[in-house]
Amino acid sequence: MILSILLVPLLHVSAQQPDAGQIMSKSRDLSLIGSMSATINLSILEKSGATRNRTIAMTTKSYPDGLEKRFIKFIEPADVRGTAMLVVDNKNVMDEMWIYLPALKKTRRIVSSEKGKSFMSSEFSNADMSSPALSDFVNKHTATSGSNNQWIIESIPVNEDKADEYGYSRKVTYISKDKYQILKMEFYNIDNELFKTIEIKSIFPLQDGKYMIKNMIASNLITNRKSEILFSNINEQVKVDDSFFSLQNLER
Amino acid sequence: MTARIIKYRWVIIGICLLTGISFGLLIPFSKTDPEIRNYVPASMKSRIETDKIENEFGVQDMIVILFCDSSILTSGNLKQIKAIDRDFSRLPGVSSRISPFTVKTIKNSEGMMVADPLIRKIPSDSSEVTELTKEILSNRFARDIVFSSDMTSASITATINRSETEDITLQKVDSIIGAHPGDARILSGGLPYIRNHIMKDVNRDAMIIVPIALIIMLLVLKFTLGDWRSVLKPFTVVLLSTALSMGLIPLLGWKLSIISLLVPIILVAVANNYGIYLVARHQEISLKNGNEPEGSILKELTSSLNMPILFSGLTTIAGILGLLTHSIIPARQVGILAATGVTAALVMSLFFIPALISLTGKKTRNANLKKVKNSWFDGFLNRLAEMIVKHPGRIILSSLILTIILSSGILLVKIETNQEKYFPKNNPLRQASDVINKKFGGSQTISVMVTGDIKSPEIMKGIDDLTMQLEDMNGVGGVFSISQAVREMSKGIYNEGERGYNQIPPSTEGIAQMFELYNMSGDQDDFKQLMNLDNSKAHILIRLSNPENKVINEVKEKITALTNDFPAEVTVGGYALIMADFAGSIIRGQVSSLIFALVTVLILLAIIFRSLKGGIIGSIPLAASILVVFGFMGFSGIALDGATALLSSIMIGVGVDFTIQYMWCFNTQIRKGLSYADATKASIGTIGRSIIINAISVMAGFSALMFSGFTSIRFFGYLVIISIGSCLIGAIVLIPAILMKFRPGFIEKKLSNSKTKKHEKENDLINITSAAFTRVGATA
Repeated sequence: MILSILLVPLLHVSAQQPDAGQIMSKSRDLSLIGSMSATINLSILEKSGATRNRTIAMTTKSYPDGLEKRFIKFIEPADVRGTAMLVVDNKNVMDEMWIYLPALKKTRRIVSSEKGKSFMSSEFSNADMSSPALSDFVNKHTATSGSNNQWIIESIPVNEDKADEYGYSRKVTYISKDKYQILKMEFYNIDNELFKTIEIKSIFPLQDGKYMIKNMIASNLITNRKSEILFSNINEQVKVDDSFFSLQNLER
Repeated sequence: MTARIIKYRWVIIGICLLTGISFGLLIPFSKTDPEIRNYVPASMKSRIETDKIENEFGVQDMIVILFCDSSILTSGNLKQIKAIDRDFSRLPGVSSRISPFTVKTIKNSEGMMVADPLIRKIPSDSSEVTELTKEILSNRFARDIVFSSDMTSASITATINRSETEDITLQKVDSIIGAHPGDARILSGGLPYIRNHIMKDVNRDAMIIVPIALIIMLLVLKFTLGDWRSVLKPFTVVLLSTALSMGLIPLLGWKLSIISLLVPIILVAVANNYGIYLVARHQEISLKNGNEPEGSILKELTSSLNMPILFSGLTTIAGILGLLTHSIIPARQVGILAATGVTAALVMSLFFIPALISLTGKKTRNANLKKVKNSWFDGFLNRLAEMIVKHPGRIILSSLILTIILSSGILLVKIETNQEKYFPKNNPLRQASDVINKKFGGSQTISVMVTGDIKSPEIMKGIDDLTMQLEDMNGVGGVFSISQAVREMSKGIYNEGERGYNQIPPSTEGIAQMFELYNMSGDQDDFKQLMNLDNSKAHILIRLSNPENKVINEVKEKITALTNDFPAEVTVGGYALIMADFAGSIIRGQVSSLIFALVTVLILLAIIFRSLKGGIIGSIPLAASILVVFGFMGFSGIALDGATALLSSIMIGVGVDFTIQYMWCFNTQIRKGLSYADATKASIGTIGRSIIINAISVMAGFSALMFSGFTSIRFFGYLVIISIGSCLIGAIVLIPAILMKFRPGFIEKKLSNSKTKKHEKENDLINITSAAFTRVGATA
């Protein structure tokens, strides 16, 4: 009797809340797009008020095995126009990145095992620009998950290597209960201090409940630097041939 | 006036005590300012330029933690460094770090640009250690920056910000170091540590030196005045005037600096002089005229002494006020504080001491003083007088030759504003500075900020040219600039031997794309100290392995020459440059305060002796002493610095007393109808004795400075003793010889006014002071 009294609230909770991993998985699936192209405006705002803007054209293609390829071409500023990048985002092995520098007429491969590394010097990391593998994290509901029409899920890297790779020890994701869309993410460092947040300001709805983040702001609470990404000219219907993601195309 | 002093004695005593105690109560509110850059005015160009650079690139003051061992590349040492470095990275007060674990290696490997940490894995065997050693020696961002070339030391350099107080950050740094013990010997250095130690040592010095000086003075007073009741009168004046001037520091919103430590010592040494004259004279008059009423004795005392005390006080104040012409802020503050203290001592001596005497006189007047002639001291004075009378010409000539010889050392005088030198050689902080300067390029820096389109090849090549030329200069330990980073990046793009390898790209686009490439593989924060986010400002950081003013000025001149036609705006600043300006201020301040003090004293002497010639002759011992002391500094290697820069004004202020006393006494003797020879003998025998003992008491007061933790303050102590000694010889040897030889007309004129007439008739206007010291003479 006593046992059943003690267990009732737990049973009640588990009955109310779907598995945290499943929520993350569903949310991830809804954000995965086969292929798309967009223009991205990236603004980096320093604490001092100085800003730096980059405009790039990005084309991505996702493959069923989790492989994702991205082709990025710089549009602005003028002195880096024509610079092109090819990223092959392997889920279980090191990412492969190539960059073509037109002024130097050189293509160079960049080696990076750190998904936590900054994306184009912004507060966003490379991992923020893609969909991390679910197997890299242990997910669970936070105490307040389910309230305010939000799932609040804590993701902890499965081991220290993964924590080093992603650059954080804990992430808290706020997901809308009804649409499974990510609203906000909070990142904690090795000392369990909140050091970065990403707020989703607007989304671009796609078919079948899928969606794409259109505008998001990353705030580094340590450096007080902010970065904003704004997608425009989004085309989720784009058909991209595999050969588009090649070194030959990079230098074209 | 004497009647009024007696009438209002309680009011006078009350006001003096209340003022002194009130100001004394403010002293605990004093704060210390160890920041030497605050010594120079905020309007000084180097400060303005440094502020501009720091606004853009943050404060460039670095703490440097050194790890020293016979071989630093052991697994244990590297693990210790890594753990400490990781903990430093979490300190809010630390803005950026350069450590063995933050330095990157940019390589071009199999068509890849690799920006990897220098130490990806701590070496576990000798072959890995050899490999790492090779990598360190070939990495310009590692060799002699995070590892010494001989692999016996490693360093973590961190710039600190103001998010926490410097004191708290340093405490946290120390506690992190303490939490990770290891085999390596750890030394901490850099300007924040130097400032921290200065702050502690200033407080420690104040707690040690001032009491020592007071004890010494108490003993000197006891020795000279005999009974404690007599001792306490001038001693109370010392305490009250010191309390008043030190209490002014928090009241005026000023802060204690190293050199403001000198204020209480100056006052302890000087402020009791007038009181000694009064008390000693009172003892003498009491002995002679014991049956007269106290009011009459007091009247005789004040009428005979007020004039010479006033003149002595005014000349001392004038000398010290010479410090007001200094551009060094604390020097001016010392001038105001010491002059205020001396003024207070003067006023208290003229009112407070007579008021005290009127209360206690009858109890003490007969408790003291027996004229006991001391054969040794008198014999010495007699022989000295004989020699002066017989050979005044030789004395003048030999003094001149000696002064010329000693003053030739002036050419060797060095200016030293390097705070590292404030500490003795065995101090761990000084040892850390020596290792940093010898093996890691130094912790003191000059900064050059270039404003323009940094990606423009003309500007980037200009930066590169400046970097390379400065790197080749003696005394420069290392130069960091964005052009070096660009060169390193080019190595990650081009193969060795290929065109473009280790070169600046020839187009803006080329440089911009190179940065973009680095941003993809490295971290933009890697170069945040060298270039701002929008690439509109670049920072060239020059570390000085020999932060002497000569080197700083040479580097500054080189930068000016190389950037004359620079295609961008150039701002030159940095702590070392402020120090160079500080040195310039010391020289200018020294010259201006010297001229001011000498001219003022000359005018005062001319007024006192009613003759310009009198003013000039009276200034000779001071001028000679200045030459001798600066010559001594040159020969002994003692440099002019923040503290010793105060020397000449204080020397003039204190030393002028002796000349006035001798010339006044000589005038009295001549006016009594004595011949020049007899007047000389009489003056040497009476006032000569007092001057010697007075000088000894001043020297005794300043000798407390030898207990200072700062080399500079200790040197100041030695020098002030030498200068007082020199003024003493000038006053009792050179001046008598000059008067004897040239017999200037002014010395025969009537100097004293009608009020002192009676006393003049009685023949001992100045004899007074001799009485004070007869006890010493007896015991010596």
